[in-house]
Amino acid sequence: MKLQASNITMADMEKALNYMRAFMPLTVGDMEALLQYCEWRYFDKRKIIVKEGEVDNYLSIIIKGMVRKYIVVRKSDQTLQLATEGHIIQSEISFLTRTPSIVTLQTLEPTTMLSLSYDKMQEALEKMPGGERLGRMILTNMYIKKDERRFARASMSVRQLFTDYIEKHPHMLQRIPQKYLASYLNIKPETFSRLKRLAMSGK
Amino acid sequence: MDVYKQLYIYLRQFTSFTDEEFEQLKKNSILKNFRKKELLIKAGDTEQYLYFIAKGLIREYFIKDKQQVTTDIISEGTITGSVSSFFMSARSNYSLEAMEPVATIAISRDKLELLYKSDVKWERFGRVLTTHFLLQQEHHILENISYTVRERFFHFMDNHPDLLQRVSQKYLASYLNIKPETFSRLKGVLVKKMAKRN
Repeated sequence: MKLQASNITMADMEKALNYMRAFMPLTVGDMEALLQYCEWRYFDKRKIIVKEGEVDNYLSIIIKGMVRKYIVVRKSDQTLQLATEGHIIQSEISFLTRTPSIVTLQTLEPTTMLSLSYDKMQEALEKMPGGERLGRMILTNMYIKKDERRFARASMSVRQLFTDYIEKHPHMLQRIPQKYLASYLNIKPETFSRLKRLAMSGK
Repeated sequence: MDVYKQLYIYLRQFTSFTDEEFEQLKKNSILKNFRKKELLIKAGDTEQYLYFIAKGLIREYFIKDKQQVTTDIISEGTITGSVSSFFMSARSNYSLEAMEPVATIAISRDKLELLYKSDVKWERFGRVLTTHFLLQQEHHILENISYTVRERFFHFMDNHPDLLQRVSQKYLASYLNIKPETFSRLKGVLVKKMAKRN
């Protein structure tokens, strides 16, 4: 659902600015220029934002809430990303190459996001001062995040992956249904429960 | 073929260049060659270059429990480097090793930054190139997660039929995350298939 600007609080604006500043230095003026191209979107809990087979039209940053990105493999879904506040979420290949998505995006909580449509992005890249640079910074950041995850996957044991995740995201254990977190970390549910018990008992 | 001509053809998929623009790119890059087994970068160092591989083959790996884990095999006609390390000016998780004599055109971070500052045209080029890296990475992740071992093997061999000869089996098996025994068995299946085709 598209939100009217009047429904956006100053706190939302401030959060958006702070999250964007993780990508590059931005003045309030820069942010105002960028907002001209963006729209605010809201989704209830458990809504499908992008379905497999659909073209994703948006590059979004989450202001509040949580979105799960997953792919269906031999009838079971594999969680690829659990995005929360300040994270970029989209079906990258679909958005960037204008092809049907092979992944699905679903909210796990009521979610507010700041979104840039593909067409508006093209416009912003052309017209907005520093637009190309900002675009490159966002993509670079997305690449680095993926590469970090690729390295973690290849270099860590299941137990290390679990501990590392919990240390970096201490609140997520409460926030995310266990099956999704287990699927994201590629840990069997039984193993996940055991590791969680160990973590809770402080070992 | 002239290495710059190769680069020009490769980059044309991303954007068009005027002769002057390509000259500018040429002036800001250098030719770097590597002997077989030589490292382009060692894990722990910071990547200073992006390389266009004009000739040869490169292996990306890291060390886990004293064993080398091969994470990528990169052949000629692409741009590579320890990309995250290059982007962040941070220590590289990976080493890159020439598996054959390698000829590259290299551009340093400093020179690339200079180009970015000189004209928005180069910013645009940088963005499109970064998009390419991101897409490649995402394809890689999705393939790894959705293919069975067998699919992974045949997909790779279909796309890189020459690499079975060029790369030693242990590296291919490590890269595809397939046990050596399974790899040998799948190779047997592949050889039989090819014999049938001929």
